[in-house]
Amino acid sequence: MADMVTKEKRYGFMPGCSLPSYNPEAVAKTIEFLNATFPHFSAVQKCCGKPTKAVGQYDLFKERFAGLQADMDDMGIEDMIVACQSCFLTLKEASSTPVTSLWALWPKIGFPDDLKGKAADSDIVFTIHDSCSTRYEEELQDGVRWIMDQLGYQVHESKHAKERTRCCGFGGMVVPVNPEIAQKVMVKRVETLEKENVVVYCAACRSSLLKGGAKAWHILDLIWGPVVNEGDDSPMDVLASPIKSWVNRYKAKRGIVHAMR
Amino acid sequence: MADIKFSDAVIDTAGTVVNKCMGLEDAPCMSACPMSTDAKGYVNLIAEGKFEESLKLIREKLFLPNTLGRICAHPCEAKCRRGTEYGEPISIAALKRFAAERADDESLWDLTKADATGKRVAVVGAGPSGAQAAIELARSGHDVTILEKLDVVGGMMRVGIPEYRLPRNIIDHEYTYLTSLGVQFEFGVEVGKDVTLDSLREDYDAVILAHGAHKGSIVPVPGHDAEGVFSAADYLREISLTRSFPRAGKRIMVVGGGDVAMDCARSSWRIGAHAVVQCSLEDDETLPASEEEIREAKEEGVAFNAGWGPDEIYVENGRVTGIRIRRVLSVFDASGRFNPCYGDETKEFSVDTVIFATGQKVEDITSGALEQKQGGRYVVDANTLATSMENVFVAGDAAGTNIVIEAMAYGRKAGLSADRYLTGRTLDDGRDFSREFSYGTKLDVPIPEGTEDLPRLSPNLRDPRVRKRDFDECDTGFSDEQALKEASRCLKCECRLCMRECVMMNEFGSCPKDILDPLVNRGEMDPLLAYSCNGCDNCTIVCPHEFQLKKVFVGSRKDFVAANRGESPMKGHKVIKLHQLLGFSKFFTTKIRGRKK
Repeated sequence: MADMVTKEKRYGFMPGCSLPSYNPEAVAKTIEFLNATFPHFSAVQKCCGKPTKAVGQYDLFKERFAGLQADMDDMGIEDMIVACQSCFLTLKEASSTPVTSLWALWPKIGFPDDLKGKAADSDIVFTIHDSCSTRYEEELQDGVRWIMDQLGYQVHESKHAKERTRCCGFGGMVVPVNPEIAQKVMVKRVETLEKENVVVYCAACRSSLLKGGAKAWHILDLIWGPVVNEGDDSPMDVLASPIKSWVNRYKAKRGIVHAMR
Repeated sequence: MADIKFSDAVIDTAGTVVNKCMGLEDAPCMSACPMSTDAKGYVNLIAEGKFEESLKLIREKLFLPNTLGRICAHPCEAKCRRGTEYGEPISIAALKRFAAERADDESLWDLTKADATGKRVAVVGAGPSGAQAAIELARSGHDVTILEKLDVVGGMMRVGIPEYRLPRNIIDHEYTYLTSLGVQFEFGVEVGKDVTLDSLREDYDAVILAHGAHKGSIVPVPGHDAEGVFSAADYLREISLTRSFPRAGKRIMVVGGGDVAMDCARSSWRIGAHAVVQCSLEDDETLPASEEEIREAKEEGVAFNAGWGPDEIYVENGRVTGIRIRRVLSVFDASGRFNPCYGDETKEFSVDTVIFATGQKVEDITSGALEQKQGGRYVVDANTLATSMENVFVAGDAAGTNIVIEAMAYGRKAGLSADRYLTGRTLDDGRDFSREFSYGTKLDVPIPEGTEDLPRLSPNLRDPRVRKRDFDECDTGFSDEQALKEASRCLKCECRLCMRECVMMNEFGSCPKDILDPLVNRGEMDPLLAYSCNGCDNCTIVCPHEFQLKKVFVGSRKDFVAANRGESPMKGHKVIKLHQLLGFSKFFTTKIRGRKK
């Protein structure tokens, strides 16, 4: 985790891949918020190259990551804020730029006053599904819980939370190779969540949990979207459609440009 | 794809896993059984109500489940984790009896035999080791004859273990398995008297000596040669065969703290004793007898003097009139040798009979041809039970075992050796001796989460005031309901914790050791295995060794790519390739430096 938050530094933000493909509006609002928070701020939309690395193409990964690093350097970014846990780990390992998770950052910069306690009257109880890639990143996990508390939502901690979380089924680029196994993992994950309504902080996890039979919201849906109540349906599985995903990715790019104006 | 060469890190990690993974380790109960009976397996089949399947599993190793279910000294229970963790081991032996009583049927007996070899084998002694040796040899196609000194089968199970613990009809019935296999019996033949070992060696192609340790021993304290002093072996044999012992009086002192001593004490009531007293060098904490036997003896009113040794037997007119016993301070000296040390405190008892249950010896039936060591045990090769005579093998107590199930394991071992000898093979080539007796298990796993400390089910024993006056069986056995309840306590000891977490590994094998064996031993791995790992580390979290299997599965992917011209070998990854091209393309990417505020 990067150093203390300081307004002297130039922060950057990258939304990753699955989040802009799922919810471009949430990306834009997050950037607006960060841009308003930090005096020096840049935004980048590009893949971190994790999928290339995960299939074993290490040389190609290095090449691709160098492109991202050049973008970050070009934008003068001194600390990169990420919303994706794979980006977090990839940058932590491969980048010369310090990396901060958006979820760990939020408690340090404070929650927008107009959003505080917005769900205090909601009767829904969420289980948090932690991303397995950051199972040992306690600060990040605590930040998610802090955000849920700021929003005013009730949270149930399942037995398989934080360090003991289970894979949603998406990791390791298994889905296109062994979809039957991936589907079984998704169902198994949902079975161990104890509650029907799940909040996640990874859009790919959200898609997997929907496939596994749960109702799932991204935490940015809860922050920027309407208050959710017991019985509400969760947003559709956008990532299941490649066309919608790429359209959204493009929309996110436009949204970033707009938000940074 | 070209030939793949896995990197050292992958091979090294996989090697450690294959070496240390506990996934294929046997449960402690099974590894403790000299016959490697799958206790966990049959107990759980009982728990599932599959009594016949349970019995069949037992019969894969044991021809006398109903007998052993009553009298096995159950080394399995000593290692049961319900015992080592909570002091409440599963009643494994009693469950075996239940399975046998509930489901055994001659139609289930496996009478498969190899083609006849024309070789003849003589087995001396119809006890458990002789019977097991005979079974192994008959199954291998040899012609087997058991020569038995007595007129009955069972050996020490028949003339050592009392009837109230093991009804004789059960032994007789279970031994019919041998006759069904074609084993011949000659009763009333005493080797060394009626026939010599030399003549057996000539008349038969191989001989197995399994005549047990039936010679009682008497501690030479003053008065030990008086009328009224007997060895446990003689005492129990006569009571077993006749339900009486006319030379005994009514007030009995049994010297000894083992199961045999308990059998003598309890048998004494049944032949009409008025008072039964015990003494032993070992104190209450170190009594070698099983807890059950001690408890049942106490229930029947045997007066215990554990930690007191015989000092002098009082004799009048050549007959026992009493005994003085002396407080034992220690049994073993500083160097661990048997060297009892006594104090000044003494007690006297007015008794007319003293029984020494202080060990038994092996009689020499070879006229000195085979060397004997302590206790008369013949000198044998520990692995093969071969002797200095090429066609003579020794089994059971005559070779050093102490309990029935051990004797059976030695019977099997001697039978396997004799079969090799008879078929012209070496006795040891390609043989895993470690699996022919109890062995250690590497299995060391945490107790399953949520395990409750549930008590061991007590046997259904008849009222001690009634049972001590007859020879009927004390323990009436478990009901269905009791057996299901008791069997359900089994912790099903195994590791394979990762297999409960990981979905994908279950598609490729039974545990990491099994799954990675081809990689370690042949340098092979299915790319689908490597590419089915989510890399989530759930395996590592539960693994007692914290093995990072991800390092093998995900770690090997770069080796697959290297062998496949820089591309993933998986067709499905074409999607990822496209996805990545787009994810880095100008059309979908942007970078903006925010304005100065």
